[in-house]
Amino acid sequence: MRKTIGGDWIAQDGEAIALRISVCRNCAARWYPPRKICSTCASNDLEQTVTGDRGVAYASTVVRVGAAPFRVPYVLSYVDIDGVRLLTHFDGDQAPPSDSPVRLTIGQIGSEGQTDLWSHLATPITEDTR
Amino acid sequence: MRPVFVAGAAVAPFGKHPGQSAADLGEESVVELLRTTGLLPELAEAGFVGSVYGGSLVAQRVLQRVGISGVPVFTVENACSSGGSAVHLAWQAIAAGIYDCVVAVGTENLSNFGGGALPLTTADAEIAQGVVMPATYAMRAQRYMYETGAGVDDLSRVSVKNRINGSRNPRAHFQAEVGLDQVNQSRAISDPLRLLHCCPNSDGAAAVLLCSAEFAADLGTPRARIRASVVRSGTFHTTFRDMTWPDITARTARAAYDMAGLSPADLDLVELHDAFSIAEFLHAEALGIAERGKAYRAVADGEFDRDGRVAVSPSGGLLSRGHPVGATGVSQISEAYWQLTGTAGELQVPGASVALTHVTGGGIFGVDNGACSVHILTAED
Repeated sequence: MRKTIGGDWIAQDGEAIALRISVCRNCAARWYPPRKICSTCASNDLEQTVTGDRGVAYASTVVRVGAAPFRVPYVLSYVDIDGVRLLTHFDGDQAPPSDSPVRLTIGQIGSEGQTDLWSHLATPITEDTR
Repeated sequence: MRPVFVAGAAVAPFGKHPGQSAADLGEESVVELLRTTGLLPELAEAGFVGSVYGGSLVAQRVLQRVGISGVPVFTVENACSSGGSAVHLAWQAIAAGIYDCVVAVGTENLSNFGGGALPLTTADAEIAQGVVMPATYAMRAQRYMYETGAGVDDLSRVSVKNRINGSRNPRAHFQAEVGLDQVNQSRAISDPLRLLHCCPNSDGAAAVLLCSAEFAADLGTPRARIRASVVRSGTFHTTFRDMTWPDITARTARAAYDMAGLSPADLDLVELHDAFSIAEFLHAEALGIAERGKAYRAVADGEFDRDGRVAVSPSGGLLSRGHPVGATGVSQISEAYWQLTGTAGELQVPGASVALTHVTGGGIFGVDNGACSVHILTAED
Protein backbone atom coordinates (compact mmCIF):
# COMPACT_ATOMS: atom_id res chain seq x y z
CA MET A 1 0.00 0.00 0.00
CA ARG A 2 1.14 3.50 -0.76
CA LYS A 3 -0.07 6.76 0.70
CA THR A 4 1.22 10.09 -0.59
CA ILE A 5 1.43 12.81 2.07
CA GLY A 6 0.19 16.04 0.56
CA GLY A 7 -0.66 14.08 -2.59
CA ASP A 8 -3.51 16.39 -3.53
CA TRP A 9 -0.99 19.22 -3.84
CA ILE A 10 1.45 17.39 -6.11
CA ALA A 11 1.07 17.44 -9.90
CA GLN A 12 2.95 14.48 -11.36
CA ASP A 13 4.07 13.95 -14.93
CA GLY A 14 6.07 10.72 -14.99
CA GLU A 15 9.25 11.28 -13.02
CA ALA A 16 8.80 15.03 -12.90
CA ILE A 17 6.62 16.63 -10.26
CA ALA A 18 5.41 20.11 -9.56
CA LEU A 19 3.56 21.72 -6.68
CA ARG A 20 0.01 22.93 -7.07
CA ILE A 21 -0.09 26.53 -5.87
CA SER A 22 -2.53 29.44 -5.85
CA VAL A 23 -1.72 32.97 -6.95
CA CYS A 24 -4.04 35.76 -5.86
CA ARG A 25 -5.19 37.92 -8.78
CA ASN A 26 -6.05 40.70 -6.34
CA CYS A 27 -2.83 41.03 -4.31
CA ALA A 28 -0.37 38.63 -6.03
CA ALA A 29 0.22 36.55 -2.86
CA ARG A 30 1.37 33.00 -3.62
CA TRP A 31 0.15 30.02 -1.59
CA TYR A 32 1.28 26.49 -1.06
CA PRO A 33 -0.70 24.39 -0.22
CA PRO A 34 -3.19 25.85 -2.71
CA ARG A 35 -6.09 27.88 -1.33
CA LYS A 36 -9.57 28.94 -2.43
CA ILE A 37 -9.42 32.16 -0.42
CA CYS A 38 -6.34 34.38 -0.30
CA SER A 39 -5.03 34.50 3.27
CA THR A 40 -3.55 37.96 2.71
CA CYS A 41 -6.57 39.85 1.34
CA ALA A 42 -9.43 37.28 1.61
CA SER A 43 -10.14 37.54 -2.14
CA ASN A 44 -11.64 34.46 -3.79
CA ASP A 45 -10.13 35.36 -7.18
CA LEU A 46 -7.16 33.00 -7.24
CA GLU A 47 -5.37 31.42 -10.18
CA GLN A 48 -4.68 27.71 -9.60
CA THR A 49 -1.34 26.91 -11.18
CA VAL A 50 1.81 24.82 -10.73
CA THR A 51 5.48 25.45 -9.99
CA GLY A 52 8.45 24.10 -11.89
CA ASP A 53 10.60 21.36 -10.35
CA ARG A 54 13.76 23.36 -9.58
CA GLY A 55 14.38 25.19 -6.33
CA VAL A 56 16.99 26.21 -3.79
CA ALA A 57 17.53 24.68 -0.34
CA TYR A 58 17.30 27.66 2.02
CA ALA A 59 18.01 25.81 5.28
CA SER A 60 18.27 22.13 6.19
CA THR A 61 18.96 19.75 9.06
CA VAL A 62 19.54 16.09 9.80
CA VAL A 63 16.79 15.20 12.27
CA ARG A 64 18.05 12.68 14.83
CA VAL A 65 15.21 12.95 17.34
CA GLY A 66 12.09 13.19 15.27
CA ALA A 67 8.47 12.36 14.92
CA ALA A 68 6.77 9.09 14.04
CA PRO A 69 6.24 7.66 11.40
CA PHE A 70 9.64 8.72 10.09
CA ARG A 71 12.77 6.74 10.88
CA VAL A 72 15.70 8.81 12.13
CA PRO A 73 17.96 10.10 10.88
CA TYR A 74 16.05 11.94 8.18
CA VAL A 75 16.89 15.18 6.42
CA LEU A 76 14.45 18.09 6.18
CA SER A 77 14.92 21.16 3.99
CA TYR A 78 13.10 24.39 3.43
CA VAL A 79 13.14 24.82 -0.33
CA ASP A 80 12.23 28.02 -2.19
CA ILE A 81 10.56 27.15 -5.46
CA ASP A 82 8.87 29.61 -7.81
CA GLY A 83 7.95 32.02 -5.03
CA VAL A 84 6.67 29.55 -2.44
CA ARG A 85 8.53 27.90 0.41
CA LEU A 86 8.19 24.17 0.90
CA LEU A 87 9.23 21.99 3.83
CA THR A 88 10.31 18.68 2.34
CA HIS A 89 12.37 15.60 3.00
CA PHE A 90 15.76 15.68 1.31
CA ASP A 91 17.13 12.63 -0.48
CA GLY A 92 20.52 12.13 1.18
CA ASP A 93 22.35 11.45 4.45
CA GLN A 94 23.73 14.97 4.88
CA ALA A 95 21.97 18.29 5.09
CA PRO A 96 22.58 20.20 1.85
CA PRO A 97 24.46 23.49 2.27
CA SER A 98 22.31 26.63 2.34
CA ASP A 99 21.53 28.00 -1.13
CA SER A 100 22.31 24.77 -2.96
CA PRO A 101 20.11 23.95 -5.98
CA VAL A 102 17.67 21.07 -5.74
CA ARG A 103 15.19 19.30 -7.96
CA LEU A 104 11.82 18.02 -6.74
CA THR A 105 10.99 14.38 -7.24
CA ILE A 106 8.59 12.02 -5.56
CA GLY A 107 9.66 9.12 -3.38
CA GLN A 108 9.24 7.20 -0.15
CA ILE A 109 9.86 9.18 3.03
CA GLY A 110 8.60 6.77 5.70
CA SER A 111 6.32 3.88 6.47
CA GLU A 112 3.43 3.26 8.79
CA GLY A 113 2.63 -0.42 9.33
CA GLN A 114 2.24 -1.97 5.87
CA THR A 115 1.78 1.43 4.22
CA ASP A 116 4.65 3.12 2.41
CA LEU A 117 4.51 6.88 2.90
CA TRP A 118 5.51 8.90 -0.14
CA SER A 119 5.77 12.60 -0.73
CA HIS A 120 7.73 15.21 -2.61
CA LEU A 121 11.45 14.82 -2.10
CA ALA A 122 14.28 17.27 -2.79
CA THR A 123 17.31 15.82 -4.52
CA PRO A 124 20.61 17.61 -5.07
CA ILE A 125 21.32 18.93 -8.55
CA THR A 126 24.78 17.75 -9.52
CA GLU A 127 26.77 18.36 -12.67
CA ASP A 128 25.27 15.14 -14.08
CA THR A 129 21.64 16.07 -13.53
CA ARG A 130 21.81 19.79 -14.20
CA MET B 1 -4.40 53.97 30.61
CA ARG B 2 -3.70 53.57 34.31
CA PRO B 3 -0.28 52.52 35.61
CA VAL B 4 -0.05 48.81 36.43
CA PHE B 5 2.23 47.28 39.05
CA VAL B 6 3.56 43.85 39.86
CA ALA B 7 3.17 43.56 43.63
CA GLY B 8 4.20 39.98 44.16
CA ALA B 9 5.55 36.88 42.44
CA ALA B 10 5.97 33.20 43.21
CA VAL B 11 7.33 30.18 41.40
CA ALA B 12 6.68 26.51 42.04
CA PRO B 13 10.22 25.32 41.29
CA PHE B 14 10.73 24.05 37.75
CA GLY B 15 11.85 20.47 37.24
CA LYS B 16 10.38 17.00 36.95
CA HIS B 17 7.22 16.66 39.02
CA PRO B 18 5.51 13.65 37.45
CA GLY B 19 3.21 13.20 40.45
CA GLN B 20 1.77 16.70 40.24
CA SER B 21 -0.76 17.83 37.67
CA ALA B 22 -0.76 21.28 36.11
CA ALA B 23 -3.54 22.19 38.58
CA ASP B 24 -1.43 20.98 41.54
CA LEU B 25 1.61 22.98 40.41
CA GLY B 26 -0.50 26.06 39.73
CA GLU B 27 -2.05 25.81 43.17
CA GLU B 28 1.40 25.60 44.76
CA SER B 29 2.49 28.81 43.01
CA VAL B 30 -0.64 30.74 44.03
CA VAL B 31 -0.43 29.53 47.64
CA GLU B 32 3.13 30.87 47.72
CA LEU B 33 1.98 34.14 46.12
CA LEU B 34 -0.74 34.63 48.76
CA ARG B 35 1.68 33.72 51.55
CA THR B 36 4.44 36.08 50.44
CA THR B 37 2.18 39.04 49.65
CA GLY B 38 -0.36 38.62 52.44
CA LEU B 39 -3.11 39.05 49.85
CA LEU B 40 -6.50 37.82 50.98
CA PRO B 41 -7.85 35.63 48.17
CA GLU B 42 -11.26 37.31 48.21
CA LEU B 43 -9.58 40.55 47.10
CA ALA B 44 -8.59 39.05 43.74
CA GLU B 45 -11.16 40.33 41.27
CA ALA B 46 -10.17 38.13 38.32
CA GLY B 47 -7.66 35.48 37.28
CA PHE B 48 -5.91 34.48 34.06
CA VAL B 49 -4.11 31.13 33.86
CA GLY B 50 -1.83 30.30 30.93
CA SER B 51 -1.35 26.65 30.03
CA VAL B 52 -1.00 24.65 26.81
CA TYR B 53 -1.53 21.09 27.99
CA GLY B 54 -3.33 21.72 31.30
CA GLY B 55 -6.75 20.93 29.88
CA SER B 56 -10.13 22.57 30.01
CA LEU B 57 -10.86 25.03 32.83
CA VAL B 58 -7.41 24.78 34.36
CA ALA B 59 -7.89 28.37 35.59
CA GLN B 60 -10.81 27.27 37.75
CA ARG B 61 -9.03 24.11 38.80
CA VAL B 62 -6.06 26.16 40.06
CA LEU B 63 -7.74 29.21 41.54
CA GLN B 64 -10.84 27.71 43.19
CA ARG B 65 -8.57 25.64 45.43
CA VAL B 66 -7.14 28.76 47.03
CA GLY B 67 -10.21 30.88 47.60
CA ILE B 68 -10.39 32.61 44.22
CA SER B 69 -13.75 31.42 42.91
CA GLY B 70 -16.94 33.07 41.81
CA VAL B 71 -14.99 35.85 40.10
CA PRO B 72 -14.24 35.79 36.35
CA VAL B 73 -11.31 33.48 35.56
CA PHE B 74 -9.96 32.49 32.17
CA THR B 75 -7.70 29.77 30.80
CA VAL B 76 -5.33 31.28 28.25
CA GLU B 77 -3.66 29.25 25.50
CA ASN B 78 -1.08 30.86 23.20
CA ALA B 79 1.59 28.13 23.00
CA CYS B 80 4.88 29.25 24.61
CA SER B 81 3.34 32.69 25.08
CA SER B 82 0.41 31.41 27.14
CA GLY B 83 1.80 32.72 30.42
CA GLY B 84 2.90 36.00 28.87
CA SER B 85 -0.56 36.35 27.36
CA ALA B 86 -2.20 35.70 30.74
CA VAL B 87 -0.11 38.52 32.24
CA HIS B 88 -1.01 40.74 29.29
CA LEU B 89 -4.75 40.19 29.82
CA ALA B 90 -4.40 40.91 33.53
CA TRP B 91 -2.48 44.08 32.62
CA GLN B 92 -5.23 45.12 30.17
CA ALA B 93 -7.91 44.74 32.81
CA ILE B 94 -6.08 46.92 35.32
CA ALA B 95 -4.81 49.48 32.79
CA ALA B 96 -8.38 49.88 31.53
CA GLY B 97 -9.65 50.52 35.04
CA ILE B 98 -11.88 47.44 35.15
CA TYR B 99 -10.13 45.80 38.10
CA ASP B 100 -7.58 46.77 40.76
CA CYS B 101 -6.26 43.34 41.69
CA VAL B 102 -5.76 40.42 39.29
CA VAL B 103 -3.79 37.21 39.59
CA ALA B 104 -1.94 35.84 36.53
CA VAL B 105 -0.62 32.30 36.57
CA GLY B 106 1.18 29.96 34.20
CA THR B 107 1.30 26.22 34.79
CA GLU B 108 2.33 23.09 32.96
CA ASN B 109 3.18 19.46 33.43
CA LEU B 110 5.20 18.03 30.54
CA SER B 111 6.49 14.89 32.29
CA ASN B 112 3.35 13.11 31.22
CA PHE B 113 4.57 13.24 27.60
CA GLY B 114 7.71 11.25 28.36
CA GLY B 115 10.98 12.30 26.70
CA GLY B 116 11.93 13.53 23.26
CA ALA B 117 10.58 16.41 21.22
CA LEU B 118 7.23 17.76 22.38
CA PRO B 119 4.35 16.52 20.24
CA LEU B 120 2.95 19.19 17.94
CA THR B 121 -0.82 18.98 17.95
CA THR B 122 -1.73 21.58 15.35
CA ALA B 123 -1.92 19.24 12.34
CA ASP B 124 -0.60 21.04 9.26
CA ALA B 125 1.40 20.50 6.08
CA GLU B 126 4.78 20.75 7.84
CA ILE B 127 3.95 18.57 10.82
CA ALA B 128 2.80 15.95 8.27
CA GLN B 129 6.38 16.02 6.92
CA GLY B 130 7.82 15.22 10.36
CA VAL B 131 8.94 18.62 11.56
CA VAL B 132 9.57 19.05 15.29
CA MET B 133 10.63 22.20 17.14
CA PRO B 134 14.33 21.19 17.43
CA ALA B 135 14.41 20.68 13.64
CA THR B 136 12.95 24.13 12.98
CA TYR B 137 15.52 25.79 15.24
CA ALA B 138 18.28 23.63 13.76
CA MET B 139 17.44 24.98 10.31
CA ARG B 140 17.48 28.52 11.69
CA ALA B 141 20.89 27.71 13.17
CA GLN B 142 22.25 26.34 9.89
CA ARG B 143 21.16 29.47 8.05
CA TYR B 144 22.43 31.85 10.75
CA MET B 145 25.83 30.17 10.78
CA TYR B 146 25.94 30.28 6.97
CA GLU B 147 25.15 33.99 6.87
CA THR B 148 27.21 35.21 9.83
CA GLY B 149 30.15 32.83 10.11
CA ALA B 150 29.16 31.79 13.64
CA GLY B 151 30.15 28.26 14.62
CA VAL B 152 28.93 25.47 16.88
CA ASP B 153 31.18 26.76 19.69
CA ASP B 154 29.23 30.02 19.53
CA LEU B 155 25.96 28.16 20.02
CA SER B 156 27.52 26.24 22.88
CA ARG B 157 28.68 29.40 24.63
CA VAL B 158 25.01 30.40 25.07
CA SER B 159 24.34 27.13 26.88
CA VAL B 160 27.44 27.54 29.04
CA LYS B 161 26.48 31.11 30.02
CA ASN B 162 22.87 30.34 30.80
CA ARG B 163 23.76 27.23 32.77
CA ILE B 164 26.20 29.32 34.85
CA ASN B 165 23.34 31.73 35.55
CA GLY B 166 20.95 28.89 36.38
CA SER B 167 23.43 27.30 38.77
CA ARG B 168 22.67 30.21 41.12
CA ASN B 169 18.90 29.90 40.77
CA PRO B 170 17.15 27.62 43.27
CA ARG B 171 14.05 27.69 41.06
CA ALA B 172 15.88 26.36 37.98
CA HIS B 173 15.38 22.89 36.52
CA PHE B 174 19.13 22.51 35.89
CA GLN B 175 21.37 23.93 38.61
CA ALA B 176 24.71 22.57 37.42
CA GLU B 177 27.14 24.35 35.14
CA VAL B 178 28.26 22.70 31.90
CA GLY B 179 31.53 23.10 30.00
CA LEU B 180 31.95 23.89 26.32
CA ASP B 181 33.20 20.36 25.50
CA GLN B 182 30.31 18.84 27.41
CA VAL B 183 27.83 20.82 25.29
CA ASN B 184 29.66 20.02 22.05
CA GLN B 185 29.79 16.33 22.87
CA SER B 186 26.22 15.93 24.08
CA ARG B 187 23.86 13.82 21.99
CA ALA B 188 23.10 15.05 18.47
CA ILE B 189 19.43 16.08 18.25
CA SER B 190 19.02 17.89 14.93
CA ASP B 191 22.20 19.09 13.22
CA PRO B 192 23.87 21.35 14.29
CA LEU B 193 21.93 21.28 17.58
CA ARG B 194 22.92 18.94 20.38
CA LEU B 195 21.04 18.04 23.53
CA LEU B 196 22.59 20.81 25.63
CA HIS B 197 21.60 23.38 23.00
CA CYS B 198 17.96 22.51 23.78
CA CYS B 199 15.82 23.49 26.76
CA PRO B 200 14.37 20.67 28.84
CA ASN B 201 10.71 19.69 28.96
CA SER B 202 9.91 20.82 32.49
CA ASP B 203 7.03 20.89 34.91
CA GLY B 204 6.35 24.00 36.91
CA ALA B 205 4.19 27.01 37.60
CA ALA B 206 4.48 30.69 38.40
CA ALA B 207 2.08 33.33 39.65
CA VAL B 208 2.19 37.13 39.77
CA LEU B 209 -0.04 39.72 41.38
CA LEU B 210 -0.91 42.71 39.22
CA CYS B 211 -2.62 45.74 40.69
CA SER B 212 -3.39 49.42 40.39
CA ALA B 213 -1.30 52.08 42.14
CA GLU B 214 -3.88 52.48 44.95
CA PHE B 215 -4.15 48.76 45.58
CA ALA B 216 -0.36 48.34 45.51
CA ALA B 217 0.05 51.18 48.01
CA ASP B 218 -2.49 49.60 50.38
CA LEU B 219 -0.88 46.18 50.09
CA GLY B 220 2.55 47.65 50.79
CA THR B 221 4.68 44.93 49.20
CA PRO B 222 7.72 45.78 47.04
CA ARG B 223 6.56 46.62 43.54
CA ALA B 224 7.74 47.03 39.98
CA ARG B 225 5.90 48.95 37.29
CA ILE B 226 4.84 47.43 33.99
CA ARG B 227 5.81 50.01 31.38
CA ALA B 228 4.78 47.95 28.37
CA SER B 229 2.77 44.82 27.76
CA VAL B 230 2.42 43.68 24.15
CA VAL B 231 1.26 40.51 22.41
CA ARG B 232 1.48 39.90 18.66
CA SER B 233 0.57 36.97 16.44
CA GLY B 234 2.63 35.71 13.52
CA THR B 235 2.16 37.13 10.03
CA PHE B 236 0.85 34.33 7.82
CA HIS B 237 2.37 33.73 4.39
CA THR B 238 3.89 30.82 2.48
CA THR B 239 6.59 32.65 0.53
CA PHE B 240 10.26 33.38 1.28
CA ARG B 241 10.92 33.87 4.98
CA ASP B 242 14.19 35.08 6.51
CA MET B 243 14.68 32.51 9.24
CA THR B 244 17.50 34.53 10.82
CA TRP B 245 15.17 37.44 11.58
CA PRO B 246 12.23 36.60 13.86
CA ASP B 247 9.91 39.26 12.55
CA ILE B 248 7.32 38.58 15.26
CA THR B 249 9.85 39.41 17.99
CA ALA B 250 10.94 42.57 16.17
CA ARG B 251 7.34 43.78 15.78
CA THR B 252 6.37 42.98 19.36
CA ALA B 253 9.50 44.59 20.79
CA ARG B 254 9.11 47.75 18.71
CA ALA B 255 5.56 48.20 20.00
CA ALA B 256 6.77 47.61 23.56
CA TYR B 257 9.61 50.14 23.31
CA ASP B 258 7.13 52.67 21.88
CA MET B 259 4.65 52.05 24.70
CA ALA B 260 7.36 52.33 27.37
CA GLY B 261 9.17 55.28 25.80
CA LEU B 262 12.37 53.30 26.24
CA SER B 263 14.99 51.87 23.90
CA PRO B 264 17.15 48.73 23.89
CA ALA B 265 20.06 50.75 25.32
CA ASP B 266 18.01 51.40 28.49
CA LEU B 267 17.74 47.71 29.40
CA ASP B 268 19.69 46.30 32.33
CA LEU B 269 18.44 42.77 31.84
CA VAL B 270 16.45 40.67 29.43
CA GLU B 271 14.74 37.36 30.12
CA LEU B 272 14.76 35.92 26.60
CA HIS B 273 13.04 32.93 25.02
CA ASP B 274 16.13 30.74 24.55
CA ALA B 275 14.26 27.51 23.85
CA PHE B 276 17.37 26.58 21.83
CA SER B 277 20.79 28.26 21.96
CA ILE B 278 20.39 29.72 18.47
CA ALA B 279 17.27 31.54 19.69
CA GLU B 280 19.36 33.82 21.90
CA PHE B 281 21.21 35.15 18.84
CA LEU B 282 18.09 35.58 16.72
CA HIS B 283 15.96 37.23 19.38
CA ALA B 284 18.76 39.38 20.85
CA GLU B 285 19.17 40.90 17.39
CA ALA B 286 15.43 41.30 16.85
CA LEU B 287 15.09 42.88 20.32
CA GLY B 288 17.80 45.36 19.33
CA ILE B 289 20.33 44.49 22.03
CA ALA B 290 22.86 43.33 19.43
CA GLU B 291 23.57 44.37 15.86
CA ARG B 292 22.23 42.16 13.11
CA GLY B 293 24.50 39.14 12.70
CA LYS B 294 26.62 40.08 15.74
CA ALA B 295 24.84 38.56 18.73
CA TYR B 296 27.15 35.55 18.70
CA ARG B 297 30.08 37.93 19.16
CA ALA B 298 28.29 39.70 22.02
CA VAL B 299 27.96 36.36 23.81
CA ALA B 300 31.59 35.42 23.13
CA ASP B 301 32.72 38.83 24.45
CA GLY B 302 30.73 38.46 27.68
CA GLU B 303 28.38 41.34 26.88
CA PHE B 304 25.32 39.26 27.88
CA ASP B 305 26.85 37.94 31.12
CA ARG B 306 25.14 38.78 34.40
CA ASP B 307 27.66 41.59 34.93
CA GLY B 308 27.96 42.45 31.23
CA ARG B 309 26.55 45.27 29.08
CA VAL B 310 23.03 43.81 29.34
CA ALA B 311 22.37 40.64 31.34
CA VAL B 312 20.56 38.14 29.12
CA SER B 313 18.61 35.52 31.04
CA PRO B 314 20.30 36.00 34.42
CA SER B 315 17.81 33.47 35.82
CA GLY B 316 19.28 30.80 33.55
CA GLY B 317 16.82 31.18 30.71
CA LEU B 318 14.82 28.32 29.31
CA LEU B 319 18.06 26.37 28.78
CA SER B 320 18.63 26.17 32.51
CA ARG B 321 15.48 27.31 34.28
CA GLY B 322 13.50 24.92 32.10
CA HIS B 323 10.46 25.38 29.90
CA PRO B 324 7.11 24.31 31.31
CA VAL B 325 5.59 25.92 28.26
CA GLY B 326 2.64 27.87 29.66
CA ALA B 327 4.49 28.81 32.86
CA THR B 328 7.57 30.32 31.24
CA GLY B 329 6.21 33.82 30.56
CA VAL B 330 4.97 34.23 34.13
CA SER B 331 8.23 32.97 35.61
CA GLN B 332 10.11 35.55 33.51
CA ILE B 333 7.95 38.32 35.00
CA SER B 334 8.65 36.86 38.44
CA GLU B 335 12.40 36.81 37.89
CA ALA B 336 12.27 40.39 36.56
CA TYR B 337 10.22 41.45 39.60
CA TRP B 338 12.83 40.08 42.00
CA GLN B 339 15.61 41.77 40.02
CA LEU B 340 13.87 45.15 40.03
CA THR B 341 12.97 44.99 43.70
CA GLY B 342 16.56 44.07 44.57
CA THR B 343 15.56 40.72 46.02
CA ALA B 344 17.10 38.38 43.43
CA GLY B 345 19.77 37.15 45.85
CA GLU B 346 22.69 35.46 44.13
CA LEU B 347 21.14 36.21 40.74
CA GLN B 348 21.00 39.94 41.33
CA VAL B 349 22.07 42.08 38.39
CA PRO B 350 23.79 45.06 40.03
CA GLY B 351 21.69 48.21 39.78
CA ALA B 352 18.90 46.58 37.77
CA SER B 353 16.22 49.17 37.04
CA VAL B 354 14.84 48.26 33.59
CA ALA B 355 13.96 44.70 32.54
CA LEU B 356 12.45 43.21 29.40
CA THR B 357 10.83 39.78 29.22
CA HIS B 358 10.24 37.95 25.96
CA VAL B 359 8.43 34.74 25.11
CA THR B 360 7.58 33.55 21.65
CA GLY B 361 6.50 30.28 20.28
CA GLY B 362 4.12 27.99 18.65
CA GLY B 363 5.40 26.01 15.70
CA ILE B 364 2.55 26.37 13.28
CA PHE B 365 2.74 26.44 9.51
CA GLY B 366 3.16 29.72 7.64
CA VAL B 367 4.31 32.01 10.49
CA ASP B 368 7.68 32.37 12.20
CA ASN B 369 5.89 31.84 15.53
CA GLY B 370 2.26 31.71 16.55
CA ALA B 371 2.39 34.26 19.37
CA CYS B 372 4.96 36.53 21.01
CA SER B 373 4.72 38.62 24.15
CA VAL B 374 7.08 41.29 25.45
CA HIS B 375 6.89 43.09 28.78
CA ILE B 376 9.06 45.97 29.94
CA LEU B 377 9.21 46.60 33.68
CA THR B 378 10.96 49.25 35.74
CA ALA B 379 11.94 49.58 39.38
CA GLU B 380 9.81 51.91 41.51
CA ASP B 381 11.50 53.81 44.32
